[in-house]
Amino acid sequence: MKKYKCPICGYIYDEEKEGIKFEDLPDDWKCPLCGAPKNIFKAEAIEIEINEENDKNLREMNLGEISALCSSLARGCEKQYLDEEAKLFMTLANYYNNKAQEQGDFSTIIEKINKDLNSNYKKASEIASEKKDRGALRVIGWGEKVTMILKSLIDNGIPTDKKVYVCDVCGFVYVGDEKPEICPVCKVPNFKLLEVKRGA
Amino acid sequence: MSKERAIRNLRLCSKDCLCLFVCPTGATDTETGQIDFDKCIGCGACSKACPAGAISMVPYEYPKEQPKDDEVIEKLKFIIESKVDQEQLANYIIKNSNNEGEKFLAKIISKANRLILEDLYRESGYMLPQSKKTKEFLNQLLEKDTTNNEVINKLLNLLNFND
Ligand code: SF4
Ligand code: SF4
Ligand SMILES: [Fe+2]
Repeated sequence: MKKYKCPICGYIYDEEKEGIKFEDLPDDWKCPLCGAPKNIFKAEAIEIEINEENDKNLREMNLGEISALCSSLARGCEKQYLDEEAKLFMTLANYYNNKAQEQGDFSTIIEKINKDLNSNYKKASEIASEKKDRGALRVIGWGEKVTMILKSLIDNGIPTDKKVYVCDVCGFVYVGDEKPEICPVCKVPNFKLLEVKRGA
Repeated sequence: MSKERAIRNLRLCSKDCLCLFVCPTGATDTETGQIDFDKCIGCGACSKACPAGAISMVPYEYPKEQPKDDEVIEKLKFIIESKVDQEQLANYIIKNSNNEGEKFLAKIISKANRLILEDLYRESGYMLPQSKKTKEFLNQLLEKDTTNNEVINKLLNLLNFND
């Protein structure tokens, strides 16, 4: 599937959205915006299009997002045993994390969690099923469960006499003294459930 | 340069030492327990011989990242934005609250959200640090602010981009 860009007005013909290949359009087809003839549309537009999208992506990425992407890439390097690269990505992740600023309290967090559970995850799951993207379905499924756990932690609080573990793979939080054998959400063996200590 | 190198998983290694006998270059015999990457020629003998299944062969060059559907990426982006907000709000509470219980709860929320976020990015077309998308991302960061140019340029040099 390709995208074609009108060299005159910038209108983009997206084969995927339209359901008809650009080639198959009649010869007298014209740009719906400016009326430019079919033969001056260029397919090289795809490349430009992708770059533009990426540019837009970064412009829209806030500092917290940049930080999270960098730490995600750091993990990718870690998994490939690229220690130096992992450290460099973490340097970036920490830098952008410290610069990110957002103010609010737990009720603001709960609002956002509710929106995730009531709408964001559902919509994402619909599209991911439609596109048969099992990786996306996996991350949606795990994330939704962990989000529900976080909600209940905020609602009920964490008992002060219990230990707390966070799954280093999926973010699942376990409150209690005996870790389960495997993470109930992502099924990783429990050596990846790491204790988070109270205090600094 | 060889196409791959051997990596020893120290959690699995039972110190049965067959790898020491089969390695043609002595790369498996080190004090740290990890294989000497400079000596390893990537022949794979250690990996085949290890009775504990503790050695895997890791490539230097990775295949291209699997393409992702734009719409899926867009929907995941909504979740990403929300999780980043939640993480940053939690960080704000950690810095500004005087209540130890609240701070601890916020710390857990911040951590869990970061893990969720990392996973979301992996599924949004940033699985592979060597991908074209990563390269473009780094190049755009260069333009954003100059503080980290040294770090970013190092990454651009070190990573073996495949696309
Ligand atoms: S053969 Fe396998 S178990 Fe034995 S020392 Fe080597 S890596 Fe460890
Ligand atoms: S792959 Fe070959 S050279 Fe490398 S450590 Fe294993 S046996 Fe030695
Ligand atoms: Fe998990």
